[in-house]
Amino acid sequence: MNTKWSRFLAVALALTLLVAFVPGCAKKTTDEGTTGGKTEEPKTTVKAAMVTDVGGLGDKSFNDLSYEGLKRAEKELGVEIKVLESKEITDYESNIDQLANAGYSPIFAVGFLMTDTVSKMSTQYPDTMFGGVDEFFDPVPSNVVGLTFKEHEGSYLAGVVAGLATKEKALSDKINDKNVIGFVGGMDVPLIKKFEAGFIAGAKSVNPDVQVISLYAGNFTDQAKGKELGYSLIEKGADVIYAAAGAVGLGTIEACKEKGALFIGVDADQYLTVPNSGDVMLTSMMKRVDVAVFETVKAAVDGTFPGGTIKEFGLKEGGVGLAPFHDFENKVPQSIKDAVEKAKKGIIDGTIKVPDKL
Amino acid sequence: MSESHEALPEQRAWMTLLQKAGAPVVSVLIAIGIGSLIMWISGYDAGAAFAALFKGSLGSPKAFGDTLLRATPLMFTGLAVAYGFRAGLFNIGAEGQLFMGGLAAAYLGVRLGGLSPAVALPAVLVAAMAAGAAWAFVPALLKARIGAHEVITTMMFTYIGKYIVSWLVVGPLKAPGQIPQTEMIGASAQLPRIQSLFSDAALQSLPILKLGRGHMGIFVALLFAVVVWLILKYTTLGYENRAVGFNPWAAENAGISVPSTIVKSLCISGALAGLAGAVEVMGVHHRIFDQFSPGFGFTGIAVALVAKNHPLGVIPAALLFGAMSAGSGTMQLEADVPQKIVLIIQALVIFLIAAESVVQWFIQKRQKEALARAR
Repeated sequence: MNTKWSRFLAVALALTLLVAFVPGCAKKTTDEGTTGGKTEEPKTTVKAAMVTDVGGLGDKSFNDLSYEGLKRAEKELGVEIKVLESKEITDYESNIDQLANAGYSPIFAVGFLMTDTVSKMSTQYPDTMFGGVDEFFDPVPSNVVGLTFKEHEGSYLAGVVAGLATKEKALSDKINDKNVIGFVGGMDVPLIKKFEAGFIAGAKSVNPDVQVISLYAGNFTDQAKGKELGYSLIEKGADVIYAAAGAVGLGTIEACKEKGALFIGVDADQYLTVPNSGDVMLTSMMKRVDVAVFETVKAAVDGTFPGGTIKEFGLKEGGVGLAPFHDFENKVPQSIKDAVEKAKKGIIDGTIKVPDKL
Repeated sequence: MSESHEALPEQRAWMTLLQKAGAPVVSVLIAIGIGSLIMWISGYDAGAAFAALFKGSLGSPKAFGDTLLRATPLMFTGLAVAYGFRAGLFNIGAEGQLFMGGLAAAYLGVRLGGLSPAVALPAVLVAAMAAGAAWAFVPALLKARIGAHEVITTMMFTYIGKYIVSWLVVGPLKAPGQIPQTEMIGASAQLPRIQSLFSDAALQSLPILKLGRGHMGIFVALLFAVVVWLILKYTTLGYENRAVGFNPWAAENAGISVPSTIVKSLCISGALAGLAGAVEVMGVHHRIFDQFSPGFGFTGIAVALVAKNHPLGVIPAALLFGAMSAGSGTMQLEADVPQKIVLIIQALVIFLIAAESVVQWFIQKRQKEALARAR
């Protein structure tokens, strides 16, 4: 009996180990199958890759959007793509190092926390092209391009919408007559101040008497704090709230749904990414990271990679913009849509200068 | 499992070894097996994945250096949690003590950076230990005086610690520039990379020394593992720690002050966790910022568990976790396996530590058999 049991244990262990290595042989044939299935000849030898920040894929924001850009490049330009996700900050350097070593170029590093790492790796791999999403370099290494956005321009449009909507009672029963709108910021850093400055300028341009109240959460993750800030803004009379605060904004959406206010989303079209938010989501200020990544890969394929520069993607370049009104499409009066178009034209042709700081 | 191993005769040397080290090793093997099964079912190439995991963690001197780099903080947090466990205390808040240690290192590293390394390095390390111990002191006092459970208090102190750092790096201690982080610490307060100790000629002739990012912190960690082992085994301090862990009432009866042992134990645990933060600041990032630890304090609990709370067992356990972390990038690159799979395998290892009972049961069966035969 006892020896039987120990034999059973030994066999079970052996089987587990077998399972560990047998599939290794089995999978290879299917691998060939999938590559064989690709009929289209690759048009280019460019291999583009990205390293996510610790948020990883599935963040419904920067990392996912950058990946969208890469996938579009794969489909339209035939480049080979690869994503390495980072679990901890220590991964940034080793992930970039491995990609550069494997011949990937350009390599996109997503998020400003990777700025130092990109500077360092760019000297170690001078022949590799790097793209830093939301990263600002001074001076810019000759093989690096910083991909930044004119968030203030997009926020200006959001401000125009909010400034007019707070007076538009027909839009929703959530609109009061206090002429107050709100802004929720993540961290009190220059990047977020850009959003705030553009938003205020846009609102005041169409509604000079509007009162804009700004509150900061101190981080980009605390949803409970976002809800609390939403409550206090609504208590002070704000009926349209714009949040540039990452996941903190999700809490603010909750507050808007409970206490009755409209919300303007940020980064992605949050009507699509936040479930059941349609009844408060007026529009979103989109940061088209996907456009920036795609354009940079395209430049690399064409041999015109803008190394050594900081590229600023604004309204003109399609790098920022407003999302559709979705559920509010029929309620938003033509006057608001016209004002947005007018502001857009003015910013693009340079007649409107949007401030990027307060 | 708590019944003593020595209760039965026929205790052979291999049995003792298997009882002590067998369960973790078997767990790792089974975890690899189940992990492969999961990969196989989801259509990934498990053989290639483990080959890549190996290549990325041990396949080259540079990869091994990366494993060392990642194992270093885990060795400290593993030791911290293990030391507390040996006194029956669950220091779940090592993460907060780590942040405080890192903060002390980042703050003093800037200010002492001009001194000679012989002064600056030990001074910064000692300060980080003090900061970690201080952060554990209040929960320790609450536990010793009014019995407030350390799981709650150390955890809450973790939040406080992390938010203090978070506030300091955007506010008073922020370095100029866009990024919320502190200034870089001075060169003499940085733990140098291992390869920087050798001349270029030596590196040329002995490429095995090219350990990439691996830094001197690993030697500090190994030293502390031995020191903690010696303390636990040979000193009164360690004896009291273990006695309170086995049975606080018996220890009290034997004249050991339980409250003072609790305070000492948690503070030493906190000091070790503080060192984890210090080596990350001094050897890797050279500054502190909001997310500088991905939860080393919590992974330390798993490390201590795999090591069965033995200070020397913490060394291989931390290396294992470091290797899995270092290899996950290569696994994504070469086998297209998402790094979440590595996290699954880590979780399985911890889960299967429960297999300890299987090994115990197996050995006791053998012993009873031998006993029966002898009769």
